[in-house]
Amino acid sequence: MIDNRLAAIHASDVSVSVELETPEMTLNLGPQHPSTHGVLRLVAKVDGEMITSVEPVIGYMHRGYEKLAEVRTYPQITALVNRIDWVSGFANEIPFMVAVERLMGIEAPPRAQYIRLILTEMARISSHLVFLSSYPLELGAATPLMHALRERERVLDLIEGVTGGRFHPNFNRIGGVKPAAGGGSGQKKVLQDLPAGFLADTRKAMDEVDDVCDDMVNLVLGNEIFVKRTRGVGIIPKDRGMEFGVSGPNLRASGVKFDLRKSDAYLPYANFEFDIPTGANGDCLDRYWVRMEEIRQATRIVRQAIDGLPGGDLQAKVPRIIKVPAGEVYVRAENPKGEMGYHVVSEGGRGPYRLKIRSASFSNISVLPWLLVGQLVPDIIAVLGSLDFVLGDVDR
Amino acid sequence: MNPSEAAEHFAGLVGAGRFSSDFGTAKVFVPRERWVEAHRTLKPHLPFFSWLSAIDWSNERAVGEPAESPVEERYEVLSRLGDVTEGNAVILSTDVPKDAPSLPTLVGVYGGANWHERESAEMFGIVFEGHPNTAHLYLPDGFEGHPLRKTFPLLSREVKPWPGTVDVEGMPGETNTEAGDGEPEAEA
Amino acid sequence: MSGLLENFWVLLALKVAIIAAVVPAVSLVFIFAELKISAHMQSRIGPYFAGGRWGWAQPLADGLKFIQKEDLVPDDADRPVFKFAPMVVLMSTLAVFVIVPFSPKLVVRDLDLGVFYALAAGSFGTIGVLMAGWSSANKYSLIGGLRAGAQLIAYELPLVLAVVGVVIQAGTMSFNGIVAAQAAPVFTIGEFAIHLPYLFQGQVIGFVIFIIAMLAELNRTPFDMPIAESELVMGYLTEYSGLRFTMFFLAEYAGMFSMSAIAATLFLGGWYLPGLSSGALEVLGPVILMAKVSLLVFVIIWFRWTFPRLREDQLQSIAWRWLIPLALLNIVGTAIAKVVL
Repeated sequence: MIDNRLAAIHASDVSVSVELETPEMTLNLGPQHPSTHGVLRLVAKVDGEMITSVEPVIGYMHRGYEKLAEVRTYPQITALVNRIDWVSGFANEIPFMVAVERLMGIEAPPRAQYIRLILTEMARISSHLVFLSSYPLELGAATPLMHALRERERVLDLIEGVTGGRFHPNFNRIGGVKPAAGGGSGQKKVLQDLPAGFLADTRKAMDEVDDVCDDMVNLVLGNEIFVKRTRGVGIIPKDRGMEFGVSGPNLRASGVKFDLRKSDAYLPYANFEFDIPTGANGDCLDRYWVRMEEIRQATRIVRQAIDGLPGGDLQAKVPRIIKVPAGEVYVRAENPKGEMGYHVVSEGGRGPYRLKIRSASFSNISVLPWLLVGQLVPDIIAVLGSLDFVLGDVDR
Repeated sequence: MNPSEAAEHFAGLVGAGRFSSDFGTAKVFVPRERWVEAHRTLKPHLPFFSWLSAIDWSNERAVGEPAESPVEERYEVLSRLGDVTEGNAVILSTDVPKDAPSLPTLVGVYGGANWHERESAEMFGIVFEGHPNTAHLYLPDGFEGHPLRKTFPLLSREVKPWPGTVDVEGMPGETNTEAGDGEPEAEA
Repeated sequence: MSGLLENFWVLLALKVAIIAAVVPAVSLVFIFAELKISAHMQSRIGPYFAGGRWGWAQPLADGLKFIQKEDLVPDDADRPVFKFAPMVVLMSTLAVFVIVPFSPKLVVRDLDLGVFYALAAGSFGTIGVLMAGWSSANKYSLIGGLRAGAQLIAYELPLVLAVVGVVIQAGTMSFNGIVAAQAAPVFTIGEFAIHLPYLFQGQVIGFVIFIIAMLAELNRTPFDMPIAESELVMGYLTEYSGLRFTMFFLAEYAGMFSMSAIAATLFLGGWYLPGLSSGALEVLGPVILMAKVSLLVFVIIWFRWTFPRLREDQLQSIAWRWLIPLALLNIVGTAIAKVVL
């Protein structure tokens, strides 16, 4: 009897193997977890340490800005929008301002545009420095954090010196930027719009930022373990990234040479010389490298802008009560996190009829369920960190 | 291509008769039944899916300013596509009637539409037919209503008036539209 | 008095008491050193308030704070195992000190199988880690505990194999015997005898492998996956608080101490320093050993604040594909050298 069965097994081409049955475990990362940068929750099904499926749960920080914008006037919305991605608050204001200005048919004077540009690039530097420093921390290296954050603090101090706010500058006005304190109503107009010594200090800070980038190359990119942890991990192919709306440095790391600063004229970037760094593989290492190069390009732009800063007014002529003609406009900008845009629908009133906020991080992390399957638990952290998202930018 | 050329070009590709390019924003109006087909046609030209959302065109409003002239009651669904070479982009728009707010899903064409459609579904109550996951994205389970509909009141505003009302300007949707009386400071 | 000291049990009790007092005290010093060194590596100041000068009392203050904290046990936890685990970990690190010779005489018990005992006692702590991971009723703890188990299996082997080279060269497994073997002159130039520790007698590969495997045993960066804050919250420590957490914490630094002491004894000559008379070594032996230990501890701290952590599969691949074959080659090389020379 047994012999028969054995013979049958030998005769047929059946291979007998015993698979170790490992039950799937649901691992809940977040919303309170040290590595998820806020209140992102990932419900991951893991087989051992291998991820079989992952479902991001967002919305813990949903503040309903699109609804709130409908009951506010245009100038008041400035305060809302720089709270979307608070790591680069200043950059969030720009596309909204440009959108409203475009609807009203006005343009900020050149000096205001240059100041906007300088501060946008400084916001980009500070945002990318946070990434450069916190990403190694997620992989277990604590020291780069302190070195890069030190320089970021310098940049934030300079932003604070101009705008009065470190994270939420609220500095843009429709048609220009806020005149410096003392330059307002009833008094004699003060020409001093940037704080004394700002340009020299900024130039110095840019050199220090470049230095810390060199440090990061030595400390992080030169580290065999870091390269091992990030090379070939979390690859986003070009077409998959575009289909999911992944934008900014994340898309450029996949080899897409596209930068809204070159293609959309929302600020006078055409006057400046800078390169678009792109990666080759679209893995975590490329995303790190691209952001580091973007800092260097940003310092280049800031230096050029300081050299070429024109004089003149800070504010275009705008009516005192801002009413925006009826119409629809979508303005997008290259923010540190990617494409940020506002679709403003006006019916001719003092507030928008509808404000659609296109935030970069939302689309950037929507690729996660596809991206994380088949990775290991430690790689969740490596991939999450490399996408550089801010929960305020995801949930709005 | 400048926006008006882009609007015309892409409208020609999808065979849409209506398009606009006001304020530098290229927009092509697609009939509802050709929504998915239009996206499929444009995908080789505009591979970058930027966003999808909707506008609630409504005469009955719980928030914002009352309608000056009546609008046509409908949901307008917008989706923005772009390329990553020259910066051409276009917004596709279609109208969805309020009595049967449904639209076929784009997930099969652009995978990134998944979350955007979930957001629009819960915020506006638009049903995306064939969507793989209809769970709430932002809102808690069991949340009733669709917050971005114009008929949905902003509760905090109902409970307490906006402190900004004492300011120079009146608020959208409030009665003191003739602002400018007794403002604390005047522009130089 | 001397009669009392002759009594085995009295002497043993005295030695154990000294170990139980000295090791935690030294661990506190190492904790303070880590605070300060990491601070200076990161261009910070570090603790400077507690205790006045340099903030020297910071580890004590931390300890007091931990003791005051509530001893929480999760509802679903396996209570006895959960409570027992930190003791197992701490005891296993303390037990290693039984065979560490601080001077020719200052050793609790110089076992003939000292090397064997040290490695066995040192790896016993992983059982405590596994207990902690399993009993916490927490998925992060469980993964952390299992990672520690996998790590132990992978790294115990290169650790033992790295030591085998030294044992072959010394011809003994007794720690004092190994130190004595290193104290013997390697060769003489005229009247002048040259003494070299085993590190400079060809055990370079063994030493490097030992240090790497030691870091893995200690769960220190770059091998701190069982704790891995950014992935597993705190790994097997997630559910611990108060005094029990302190025990784990202390055990980590005591473990650094014990493993560094073993490494210093096996590869760096232990309490021996060339040029000192045997009488001077009796007195200065502990100082010499502590200097060597401090050097190694500094290196461990340096690694921690420089490197990111590896991934679990990369750690396994390093152990099985590099360290173990290299260690085996090292044994073969040492054996051939021993026979030929």
